[in-house]
Amino acid sequence: MTASARVLVVAAAFALLPVLIKSDFILTILVFSFLLGMLAVSFNLIFGFTGQLSMFHAAAFGIAAYATHLAMVHLGVSFWTGMLLAATLVAVLSLIVGIICFRFRLKEFYFAVVTLAFSEMARLVVLNWNSVTNGTLGIILQDKPSLWLPGQGVVKVDSTLMWYFISLAALVLTVLVCLRVISSWMGRSFAAIRLNDELGDTLGINVFRYKLAAFAAGNLIAAFTGSLYAFFLGSIEPGFLSIEQSLAIVAMVLLGGRGAVAAPVIGALVLTSLPHLIHFGAEVRSIVYGSILILTILLMPQGIYGTLSNLGRRRRAA
Amino acid sequence: MGQLILGQLLNGAIVGTLYGIIALGVTLTFGITGIVNFALGAFMMLGAYMAWFLTDEAGLAYPLAVPCAVAITALAGLLADQTLFRFTRNNLVNGLLVSIGLIAVMEGGALLLWTSTPKNMEYVLPGVFTFFGLVVPKMKLVVFLVLLGVILATYAALTRTWIGRAAYAYSQNPEAAELMGVRTKVMQSGVVVYSTGLAGLGGALYASLYSIDPTMGSVYILKAVESAILAGIGSVMGSLFGGVLLGITEGVGSIYLPIAFRDAYGLIFLVAILLFKPAGLFAGRR
Amino acid sequence: MGRSPTWDGAVVLLEVTGLTKRFGGLTAVADLSFSIAKGEIVGVFGPNGSGKTTLLSLIAGVIGPTSGTIVWKSRQIQGEKPHDIAAAGIVKTFQNPQLFSELSAFEHLMIASHLMLKRRLGWHRIATLLNPDAGRAGPDLERRAGEVIQLCRLDAARDQLAVGLSYGEEKMLGVAMALMCEPELLLLDEPASGLGQAEIESLESVLRDLRDHGTTLCVIDHKVGFLGRLADRAISLHHGAKIAEGTPANVLRDPNVIRAYLGQHHDRV
Repeated sequence: MTASARVLVVAAAFALLPVLIKSDFILTILVFSFLLGMLAVSFNLIFGFTGQLSMFHAAAFGIAAYATHLAMVHLGVSFWTGMLLAATLVAVLSLIVGIICFRFRLKEFYFAVVTLAFSEMARLVVLNWNSVTNGTLGIILQDKPSLWLPGQGVVKVDSTLMWYFISLAALVLTVLVCLRVISSWMGRSFAAIRLNDELGDTLGINVFRYKLAAFAAGNLIAAFTGSLYAFFLGSIEPGFLSIEQSLAIVAMVLLGGRGAVAAPVIGALVLTSLPHLIHFGAEVRSIVYGSILILTILLMPQGIYGTLSNLGRRRRAA
Repeated sequence: MGQLILGQLLNGAIVGTLYGIIALGVTLTFGITGIVNFALGAFMMLGAYMAWFLTDEAGLAYPLAVPCAVAITALAGLLADQTLFRFTRNNLVNGLLVSIGLIAVMEGGALLLWTSTPKNMEYVLPGVFTFFGLVVPKMKLVVFLVLLGVILATYAALTRTWIGRAAYAYSQNPEAAELMGVRTKVMQSGVVVYSTGLAGLGGALYASLYSIDPTMGSVYILKAVESAILAGIGSVMGSLFGGVLLGITEGVGSIYLPIAFRDAYGLIFLVAILLFKPAGLFAGRR
Repeated sequence: MGRSPTWDGAVVLLEVTGLTKRFGGLTAVADLSFSIAKGEIVGVFGPNGSGKTTLLSLIAGVIGPTSGTIVWKSRQIQGEKPHDIAAAGIVKTFQNPQLFSELSAFEHLMIASHLMLKRRLGWHRIATLLNPDAGRAGPDLERRAGEVIQLCRLDAARDQLAVGLSYGEEKMLGVAMALMCEPELLLLDEPASGLGQAEIESLESVLRDLRDHGTTLCVIDHKVGFLGRLADRAISLHHGAKIAEGTPANVLRDPNVIRAYLGQHHDRV
């Protein structure tokens, strides 16, 4: 079965889940997992496949969330239009940050530090521009997106079930698109950049252009995620752009696995459900994320998916 | 206006020594173990809380609590080194990820133990010095002198003692140094312990000047890295100058620009230097 | 030294004029001028430190010159980026094999097929992102990769991961990747270094095959015997300057060249 087919099968299973599980609590956790899964998968495009550790992802996520709300309030547009406008803004910002970083050929660690600096600058702007963003207090989102459903006309998206299907569809779309890109010639170029960019250069691959493409594409998806996430949650605050948020994204990807397009979703599922299954507060969550990050780096660098598939390969070879 | 500027200059210089002591830890760690230890901010926080705990809860005299806090922090550093950093030598990316993970663990732990309510120890040495019309809190002057002394002593140790010269030689050429008998593993662990101790000292002294909370380290480590990079990593006195330069810029800048911009200076310096002098800033080492 | 004599009808592809490269106080290449004509194999001799590798790096765009020009098919290319120069038809191999560690030999060639795809489809290759069959390029690329594997005698190593290849196979993979880029001029940086006798013979016949099929070659190497046999024309460098030019036999007999090599170890292979 091809990877895309596998994804569709799993997606179908999740689509049927609400028939069996009516619990709003569980469905809510799943919605968050799907959306954070999108965030993790898009981050992995930049980090796992192109080899660039970007600390700007949370910034893309948060900026889009704020921008969507602001567009709706100040320009009077619908949620979906706001989402597109926000995504455009994030795309432009990503291109600026990306062009600056890649023009100067920043490698790995230095790229991480500079993207971190830009992310912090964005967070400071959001934190201090009280008139627009309400500063540390954040914004409560009263508005809800509207959707046209066959047979029902235009409806407000206000039930967990509707969000469930929207977020599942968005995640599946993200995964399928990423799969297609990764298995194409562009995915090969990413691999070249990740493994030996000097060699890629002499073989005719425009390293600058494809690093920028991966960076912009990843941030674009993060932007869409931010809009959806904020409106599902019902609020936004500067913490969306924080280092803790970036840390959570990296932890999800490292836990799930860097080597496969959909593997980070596993990390997202685990890390999102954990605090709810074992009832711990924000402080313990920090400890857990941090420990998971450390443990995966040192003991399980392939992540859950990578380790399992290695085991499977070894058993089949034996 | 001149008074205001002079006051900010002085204050900036003092804050600069705080940046500088952590920056010194960053520089030393990078030179010998090849990673940038972002967790030094969290160790600073640990030192601050240990000083507070020993003074406020355990009733120890502050001048005694400080060395104890430093020792505890250094011990924690040793633990972290043996369990974590030992496996990320010379791997900048893994070192970054592991230190960020460690920060989360330490900050979460501090939040659990002591909550996010800030703790205050500014009663330790009240009172001010007044000279030339400038008012300087006594404790700030003490902190300034102690940190300055420690940084200068470190510089002296690196240039005059056998251990220091071995460390310097190692940072310039690891293979050659090893061939000449330098015990790499011991030196690497030693540097981590020393730099966490420095961070602990910075934190313990900080606690007597400002209120402390579990996330105080995050702000400081970024400033410390900026300071270290500003003047050139690998340079001990550079950490001091970089820290003071940053502190003064922030202080004087806050007179003319809204306070919100204060944290931005360091970020802009950081980006500018990393863009235009990426190898140069780590001159002397890979 | 004047320009090299070329035979009637020879088309000059690459013209290097007054090329100089200084690294701080060190002059690696000094006022070098020569040309390469289509279809010939030019060998560059010279002891260590004579500037051979720097010369190739300059032509391939890895570094930019301090002064001088490099003209490729009537266009100045000095200072351009490696990927643009590769797209223009000049591809360089690495002396120490550069590989993509986790991938198989075949996958290496598929990565190297980037330029081929770009030339076939241009901007339309974006369409293949969504529909892999668009433009029908996929099978062509894979077929060409298979051909190149056979050409470079890498059949046995085709699906092996790069880490498991022998040194000789790694070097041939470097040549194979360069071939996938459809080069008009192939720059080879010490292709024979580290190879055993049998591998060198294999390499020679692959390179001659290439030239017979239309690729122009410029080869630098320490192995004087290998290069002497392979090259049609030779130039010799010493401290970055050209000290001799002509047929390999003549160059190797030149007293200046012998003096340059005296006291230097060179491999008589």
